[in-house]
Amino acid sequence: MSQNRWLATGNFFTSYKQEQRTFFTHLDRTIFTCFLVILFGWPLVFEISNKYMLVLDNILIAIVAVMGLNLLLGFAGLISIGHAAFVGIGAYSVASVCQVIGENHVIVTHFWPVLIVCAGIMGAIFGAFVGLPALRLKHLYLAIATLSFQMIFEWFIQFMSFFNQGQTIYVGRVHWFTGQVGRSDHYLFWYYIILTLVVVLGFGVRNLLKTKYGRCLVAVRDNDRAADAMGMNPGLTKVYAFALAGFFAGVAGALHAYLYRGVGFESFTLHASVGYLAMAIVGGLGTLNGIFWGPVAIKFLDIQVEQFSEFVGQYLTSAPNVATALKPLSFGLVIVLFLMYEPRGIANWWRIVKSYTKLWPFRY
Amino acid sequence: MKSKATLFFNAFLVIVFVLAFTLPASAGKTYKLGMSLAITGPTSDAGNPYAKGAEDWFKFVNETDYLGDGDKIDCPIRDDQYKNDTTKRFFEEFLDDGILIFLSYATGGNLALKRDFEEVQIPVIPASYHEGLIVDANYTFMPVATYSENAVGLAEYITENHQGDNIPQVAFFIHPSAFGRGPLEDTQKAIAEGMKIEIVEVVEHGTDLDNTAMLQRLVSKGVQYVICQTVQTPVATMLTDAQRLGVTAGSFGEKGKLTFLGAHYTGGSDLIALAGTATEGYIWADSYNLTSENNEGAKKQLELAKRYDRDDKAANSHNYGAGILAAQIATEAIKMAKSADLKVTRENLYKMLQKMNFNSFVAAGPVTYSETERIGVDVQNIYIAQDGVFKKIQSFESQYIQKVRAGR
Repeated sequence: MSQNRWLATGNFFTSYKQEQRTFFTHLDRTIFTCFLVILFGWPLVFEISNKYMLVLDNILIAIVAVMGLNLLLGFAGLISIGHAAFVGIGAYSVASVCQVIGENHVIVTHFWPVLIVCAGIMGAIFGAFVGLPALRLKHLYLAIATLSFQMIFEWFIQFMSFFNQGQTIYVGRVHWFTGQVGRSDHYLFWYYIILTLVVVLGFGVRNLLKTKYGRCLVAVRDNDRAADAMGMNPGLTKVYAFALAGFFAGVAGALHAYLYRGVGFESFTLHASVGYLAMAIVGGLGTLNGIFWGPVAIKFLDIQVEQFSEFVGQYLTSAPNVATALKPLSFGLVIVLFLMYEPRGIANWWRIVKSYTKLWPFRY
Repeated sequence: MKSKATLFFNAFLVIVFVLAFTLPASAGKTYKLGMSLAITGPTSDAGNPYAKGAEDWFKFVNETDYLGDGDKIDCPIRDDQYKNDTTKRFFEEFLDDGILIFLSYATGGNLALKRDFEEVQIPVIPASYHEGLIVDANYTFMPVATYSENAVGLAEYITENHQGDNIPQVAFFIHPSAFGRGPLEDTQKAIAEGMKIEIVEVVEHGTDLDNTAMLQRLVSKGVQYVICQTVQTPVATMLTDAQRLGVTAGSFGEKGKLTFLGAHYTGGSDLIALAGTATEGYIWADSYNLTSENNEGAKKQLELAKRYDRDDKAANSHNYGAGILAAQIATEAIKMAKSADLKVTRENLYKMLQKMNFNSFVAAGPVTYSETERIGVDVQNIYIAQDGVFKKIQSFESQYIQKVRAGR
């Protein structure tokens, strides 16, 4: 690598350790730090309405969920059409505690970080269990196995009275050092909590991919027989990939439960699973920054289409019918267009922009 | 210099002139409300005409200066597509906009937001008539009798009109959700209180397009009455199958055949449009005045629909009437606050709602609330489908539901 640690004009690595740096240059680190400062600082400067704060919180939760899905889909090369069910497992883990000990019990309101981690572990356990068919199944067959898990999850929730048959199970307001987090601070509070988790988990994924466990995922994705010949255990790796994805999903589910102060079955349906898949594809499979781009793009598109439908509604009497068509149409169209023209997702645009700015004014 | 002063003076005169004409027009206040419902997506067959009803009523209020003093109502209507998360987002947006009353929709969405309603102390008028919405809730004002009142009322109707010495054998055909299950539970409680019916089977329907096996099973078990608590489409499928199999009762309670009955969202002109002649003899409990009754109320509903170019389907839908009623309740609360010389705030509207008593042309009875009563129209009409329209048999109030509520 160049002696100048601020700018990199090419690949000058001389050791594996150098190649495994989180930030290649000081400039990268500085930009990232500034970006984090802005992300954490702007709510203190600009007041934002609850509606937009809720949208932002939602995007961040989706990022946590897509992190898990991308590990499974992008890095391990396995497929899951039941990711929303894993998110649901996390949410219903919190809801189950509320059902047993009460929504305002001190464990729910004060020890919520523990509950969030426990929800992640529950997700991981279920993930590992559902991952067992991955030992024998591949591609379409594995997709159907995960789809069946989604169906079983929905059936269970809808028919068990313990889970209120899918209707809302309430979750109490949490406490912080300053006391109970009230309604006025609720969304801002969770913004900071989820953002912190996104950063921590993001670094977790980044570092995981440097370890032998992370490399195992990629090796099994590229060729599981070759990985086996090299001494890895493809079966175990696949189960472990499902467990990892389940953990992230479980954490996302618990965050969803706390953010919405309740758990209802509608948020974890097959439709939501398809949404997570779309986010992973649009963001860019097998890339770290794609995890962030996908949820932002899909959620942003959703709201823009909604506003566009309302705008159209001012001029057309059949506005509701336009809205019916526009949402699924735009959603499907975006996925199809990305699969056709940019299968590497938005992350590839980011890569192009980055390499262009690094090499500028030279083209090569 | 002089010309500059003249120019300023002339400009001042123009501004005064313009303001003189614009001020009276904009003197009225605008009261913000918010409505979120499923105009599209699941249950939009009900949500779509409901939205049209509310929209038309608010247009009418604004165009006719119904509130007086040039005051207007601004009620954006949002399509949440029956997604609770989206409903929550809209609700937060409406709160940011400073709405006075929230007009909500689905059972699930209302249950999900129940705690929020109480926390922010905002009056809510739902389109769902699920009994659970008013349990431990102070701010939800149910426009009409609940689904439980419908179901228990229909069970009472069965016991009163059943011929024969045996206990009426009843099956429930319900939606697989709290919306469907709640009224079943309340009917079971009414049975525990002494109501003389026996529930032989409960069917939570899926999306099957053939009910042959189910209907034959019910007949073989000796079921005579089927109470439906779901939406129109599955009921239409079941009625069509029953007609095909020849198991539909020709008269009420005919032995060896099935008499079908249903609560609010299972009937109406849309059911007849879906099931045609298979609907004949279907008994339906509802708190709305139907256009097929051709009375003064029905004429007013049709006039409103005609005024805003609504098609016949929407105009004759009881869900169109339901939308009008929800909008009327909010409007009346504002009007009452104005008449009492109170500032139109959430708190005062809440107080007004608790004193409300008015007659709506779309409802089967007067809309009344009190400090303890959260159901507007207690009266239910029992309708029967005859010759392609629903005709009123009687109006009544359920007796057993009072016992069920007392024991809650």
